[in-house]
Amino acid sequence: MPKEMASFTVNGKPYELIIEPQMTLLDVLRNQLGLMGTKYACGTGDCGACTVLVAEKPVLSCLTLAATVKGEEILTIEGLADGNNLHPIQQAFVDAGAVQCGFCTPGMILTTKALLDENPDPTPEDVQAGLGGNLCRCTGYVKIVDAVLAAAETLRRR
Amino acid sequence: MKKETAIVGQRIPRPDTPAKTMGMAEYAADIKLPGLLVGRILRSPYPHANIKSIDTSKAKQLPGVAAVITFADVPQTLFNRSSMAEAFPPPILAGEVQDEYVLSDKARFVGDWIAAAAATDIYTAEKALDLIDVEYEVLPAVFDPVAAMQPGAPVIHAGKERNIAATMEYPFNCGDVEKGFKEADYIVEGFFSTSSQKMCQLEPDAAVACWYPGGRVTVWSPNENPHLAKRVFAKVLNIPDGLVRWITPAVGGGFGGRLSFGVEFICAALAKATGKPVRVECTREEDFIGHDSRTAEYQTMKMGVKKDGVITAIEHRIISDSGAYYSHSGSTTGVNLIHTLGLLRCANIYGIAQIVYTNTPVGGGFRGYGNPEGAFAIQQLIDEAAEKIGMDPLEFRLKNAREAGEPSCWAPIALESCNLEQCIRLGAERIGWREKRGLKKKGQVRRGLGMSIMTHASGAGGFLLEHSNAIIKLNEDGSANLIVSPCEMGQGILGALSQIAAEALGLRYEDIHVVTGDTDVTLFDIGSHASRSVYVIGNAVVEAARDVKRQVLERAAKKLAVSVNELDIQAARVFVKADAEKWVSVSEIAREAIYNFTLTGAHISAIGSFQSDNWCPNFQAAFAEVEVNMETGEVKVIKFVVAHDIGRAINPLNVEGQIEGGVVQGIGFALYEDFVVDKNTGNTITDSFANYKIPSILDIPEIEVILVEEPVPSGPFGAKGVGESGLVNIAPAIANAIYDAVGVRICSLPMTPEKILMALNA
Repeated sequence: MPKEMASFTVNGKPYELIIEPQMTLLDVLRNQLGLMGTKYACGTGDCGACTVLVAEKPVLSCLTLAATVKGEEILTIEGLADGNNLHPIQQAFVDAGAVQCGFCTPGMILTTKALLDENPDPTPEDVQAGLGGNLCRCTGYVKIVDAVLAAAETLRRR
Repeated sequence: MKKETAIVGQRIPRPDTPAKTMGMAEYAADIKLPGLLVGRILRSPYPHANIKSIDTSKAKQLPGVAAVITFADVPQTLFNRSSMAEAFPPPILAGEVQDEYVLSDKARFVGDWIAAAAATDIYTAEKALDLIDVEYEVLPAVFDPVAAMQPGAPVIHAGKERNIAATMEYPFNCGDVEKGFKEADYIVEGFFSTSSQKMCQLEPDAAVACWYPGGRVTVWSPNENPHLAKRVFAKVLNIPDGLVRWITPAVGGGFGGRLSFGVEFICAALAKATGKPVRVECTREEDFIGHDSRTAEYQTMKMGVKKDGVITAIEHRIISDSGAYYSHSGSTTGVNLIHTLGLLRCANIYGIAQIVYTNTPVGGGFRGYGNPEGAFAIQQLIDEAAEKIGMDPLEFRLKNAREAGEPSCWAPIALESCNLEQCIRLGAERIGWREKRGLKKKGQVRRGLGMSIMTHASGAGGFLLEHSNAIIKLNEDGSANLIVSPCEMGQGILGALSQIAAEALGLRYEDIHVVTGDTDVTLFDIGSHASRSVYVIGNAVVEAARDVKRQVLERAAKKLAVSVNELDIQAARVFVKADAEKWVSVSEIAREAIYNFTLTGAHISAIGSFQSDNWCPNFQAAFAEVEVNMETGEVKVIKFVVAHDIGRAINPLNVEGQIEGGVVQGIGFALYEDFVVDKNTGNTITDSFANYKIPSILDIPEIEVILVEEPVPSGPFGAKGVGESGLVNIAPAIANAIYDAVGVRICSLPMTPEKILMALNA
């Protein structure tokens, strides 16, 4: 397979990486950068667990070829907190009981970030529409909606 | 009465969740070890075939391939993939049928494991699988349990004629059902089928294994019974138990799927063959096909009832589709009989089940473990019986449900407590049962109400090996390590046990540091299943805490020159009860015990053990409000009210989360989740989230959870279990609501628009 050098900005840091054409963004994040917070759960774009933000927009990293996001700014779950201080969305998920097994959580939180960046004052229906592509098998989603609304309020007050 | 507590009962965030929100939780597929190889598994394309020959030489020559293994390279020891097999006392269930090899020379379903390869990367490992030459002798296959039971059907396991793997009777059959049916004024009966719901935990199955010099092997696995899994693993490999170290990383959901072995054995075999650590991570498709789903059950149930509402007889016959291997299919079916037939008062009961092999993916135990299947049958028959005699089905349930002091669902144990009546009354009030149910309906979209009640074990003493241990050690700073071995698969058990420990020790919640997930460190425990962990492990934690607290008090008494009885501990301070100004911190006591120059030192610590002889069942009433579209057959769930008899909620936030999650899984089970196998080829059609729909955030109704808290004396701070209960009542409550809305009874899951339209047009 032809390999190429590619540059990415991940969580604010620049990287030069050797990538192959078949590599997905998920492969690169997990296997080359060791950013294991991005999860493989379906590989077919049906569950949202692998969501990361590319240029601030949510992207399914399992379906995104790394070669197509060369030069982009990528945010993964590891880049959201300020050191050990949780981002208000992360804190809201913890406080509301919106995290059970945690496997959908990174994708859920990054999708929430994109949602709240665009709509800082969502209704519960907006939250449902915004997170409609992120599956969770544990929580029944009730506390996830609570968490997103609480995070929105905290962020608006900042 | 609830006892005043400082930490138990608080809605405190769980200790494991901050790291999970940061992507720091390490799941099996995230583990990195020096020299780690990746493994892939070759799966049978045929539902039933003998392997005539298998040639791995080309695959082994591919650069980057470290090992290729077949049945010839693994121990040929029969086992049952249930990691709980060792916890069943043989006289009760005759044990779990041992019918599986790690790899075999025979395939029994499409997806059955044939061979495996380990390589430096996944692409090379997959290429290696393509280079394995297998010559199959394709055999006739059977995909339906009733067809499998006919004389002349293909035999899937030698010696199991007509593919009947096991026959089991309800252990508490009583009276004479024929006599009971003669005494009845009405008889209601039905045939109910329930589907092979797939767990769909978000983390696909994965494991890592590594052999170390000296012959020890470490396995990283999401299995929810680490100590029991270690035992079976050692048996199959024929090595001493002490050579196996079983590590439980973060686990991305269970719902029963982690009760069975997944790829651990293959992973260990590849690691042994290569001398390197090996990781096997399944794709979602492999997880769908290769791992257990809920055992499909076909139930015939008959109930006799007198005009005054007395139930005169219940007969319950089940055929369970085990799929290709026995797994949990027998025990889940047994648990169905026990909970379904142990809920109501009835003098004449007969239950019997047959477990039947087919050439389909394996039937296991999904959350509720047979109870939701049985509830789908009996809760609909209850409504039918009530209608026949003109009684409100709510009153019929109140009249017939067993109460405290009567036998529990495990009949030899009397019910220690039962607040079902309160659950029914509170739930009915919140859903508006009296005002809204049974109204005459018209229009295209019609609303209806339905209810269901259930009981479920909080662990199964007298039936399972209910044995838990906990260690508490007090650190120099007065914090404590709580060393326990449940399996945190998302249910919040580490938080609940921490709250119990903090409360019992008199420490603050943040003083408890949990250590878990390593059988080299933790004491024996049968793990997390059967809604047992808070009840059984919680009691072991209370025992350990009591001992540690005694040691602290004895040292403090000397220091404060008072007697032990005069002291108590709160918020990490030991104080004189009569004079709270007189105190010493727990940290001072702990530090002086360790850094002790008077030769009276000790590391304050204790082991608590608990062996339960109780089921301590929890109870629940659930009420559904639905809309049914007469033109399309679509059902929309508007609202659920669930009232749960929890004894005492250690953390109400988590208890609600368990119930809400169960309700939503139950809605999927009720309305659309269906594991479909092609009846001509044996191929699994539903092998992704695109063609097997689980509920999304757009599909949820309003859910109101009511916790009925009357502490049960035997529970830790009065707690009973909750883990599985949320799912049990959901499908029958929806079925009964559909009947209330449009007058048709749907007895087959999932209750799809097609089935509803067919019933409406019948």
